[in-house]
Amino acid sequence: MDSFFIGIGVALCFLMLLTLHRAIHGPTAIDRIMGVNVVGTKTTILLVIIGTIYHRVDMFVDIALAYALLNFIVTIAASRYFQHHKNLSPRGYGYRFRREDD
Amino acid sequence: MDIVVIMLTVAGVFLFFATTVGILRFPDFYSRMHAAGKGDTLSSLLMLLPLVLYNFHELNLANLLLAMKILLIGVFIFMASPTATHAIVDAGFEAGAKPWVKKPEEEA
Amino acid sequence: MIWQLDISVLSLIVLCAFATIMVKDLLSAAIIFGAYSFLMCLLWTEMGAVDVAFTEASVGAGVSTILFIAAAYQTTRIVKPRKSGRILAKILGLAAAIVMGLVLLAAETNFPGFADPGSPASRHLSPYYITHTLSDTAVPNMVTSVLADYRGFDTMFETAVIFAAGLAVIAILRRFKHTGRCELPETYSISAGYQDTIIRFISRQLVPFMQLFALYVVAHGHHSPGGGFQGGVILGASFILLAISYDLKLVMNRLNEKWNILLGNIGVLIYASIGFICLLMGANFLDYSVLSKILPATDPVMARSHGMLGIEIGVAIAVMAIVVTIYLNLASHGKLDKGL
Repeated sequence: MDSFFIGIGVALCFLMLLTLHRAIHGPTAIDRIMGVNVVGTKTTILLVIIGTIYHRVDMFVDIALAYALLNFIVTIAASRYFQHHKNLSPRGYGYRFRREDD
Repeated sequence: MDIVVIMLTVAGVFLFFATTVGILRFPDFYSRMHAAGKGDTLSSLLMLLPLVLYNFHELNLANLLLAMKILLIGVFIFMASPTATHAIVDAGFEAGAKPWVKKPEEEA
Repeated sequence: MIWQLDISVLSLIVLCAFATIMVKDLLSAAIIFGAYSFLMCLLWTEMGAVDVAFTEASVGAGVSTILFIAAAYQTTRIVKPRKSGRILAKILGLAAAIVMGLVLLAAETNFPGFADPGSPASRHLSPYYITHTLSDTAVPNMVTSVLADYRGFDTMFETAVIFAAGLAVIAILRRFKHTGRCELPETYSISAGYQDTIIRFISRQLVPFMQLFALYVVAHGHHSPGGGFQGGVILGASFILLAISYDLKLVMNRLNEKWNILLGNIGVLIYASIGFICLLMGANFLDYSVLSKILPATDPVMARSHGMLGIEIGVAIAVMAIVVTIYLNLASHGKLDKGL
């Protein structure tokens, strides 16, 4: 069973690589927020799987719970950003203070 | 018991594979969010359940506590992940993401 | 050590690191840096260092990303354009980095090998901690006992450094309405708090459980991964969740500025005063075994465990107050009225 769980872990890592392609290459910032949310949820699962491989799940469950909490908070905070700055991609180059439509 | 664990885990990974294909191939932010929100939550729940069942090789109090803790993670993901999906889609709508429109076919 | 997972997670981490540098948008770079932190925590866990993984998850992946987003909210998302040309400066920079790296590599050959069982640390120090922790302090978690008992001085100054960081943020950012000197260009009016029923309801339901979980992490640090720092950061993150889903006024009603600074003080004070009580009873500073004279029905071994719990509580209070202070000051640009 151990090698089965290791195989599942490697498969999850490969699928997270594909999701990271969307997180890096996504044309807007909101696609990246979505990609990081998915990566965060899957990392929680991967933590419990690593605990099962080491045969000591009781040590890893607390970390997984804290992870899920913080993933949720980061996603809500990143979405809150767009309530005020209604602009999906930053415009123009150069360093300046805020303009009207930034 | 091991057969059930293996089948549930493979089902969860397959669902996550479908989610990833959806995230990569859909043309529009809103449809990608459909795939990400629903598929991600369900595959997480489907992958936590066999880990709960795998611990029941012997039935004592510590294992019962552990099973309840992992189920607590499952309940939390069930509550929080759809809310996060809702928050992201709301932010995308407020920021002005445009839905994908099918191009009209040209006359022959 | 599972080498298959090691290689796959490491390649993901390198990919995230490259992407953080090369993305031309500060908000997206902050978010990808959050993903980098998540994967780094996974790597620590896979190596077996669960306490470090817990701290990285709570501080790096949670609070740091939110602070970056709050900073990008108050300033700008635009990156300076890359200037082409200046080839000579770039070559000189690269040569300096390579020379520094070679110097460090040459110095590294004098160190004992990686995980060498014959090195001085593995021969004298680690076996002492491994064999004597349970009999000296009655605490099974070796990391907590080394952090809070055998190396208690370092942890006290770490807590003082966290308090100093909070003070630095207040000193730099805090501004009041009547000073007219450093007037940065004001933004147009930030709208009232975003009102979304679903997020408000879920946050209201989740915050009590988050705080209970944080207190569990603090109290259970003796037997499972956890301790004062991690519990304090999760407590602070619960207040940040309230501030995000409602507005800053709600958190300011509960933890206004005076109480934040006071709680930061009280945390460090609890730590130092436990050490001073030990000094008053005639032993060294932070030697908890003499606390058995004032605590009822404990022997010197259990008194060390109770002393460790006391200082963990102090650390948690200080860290919670400082995390909330830094977030409030960053998100509202010093004015503490409305923000992210």
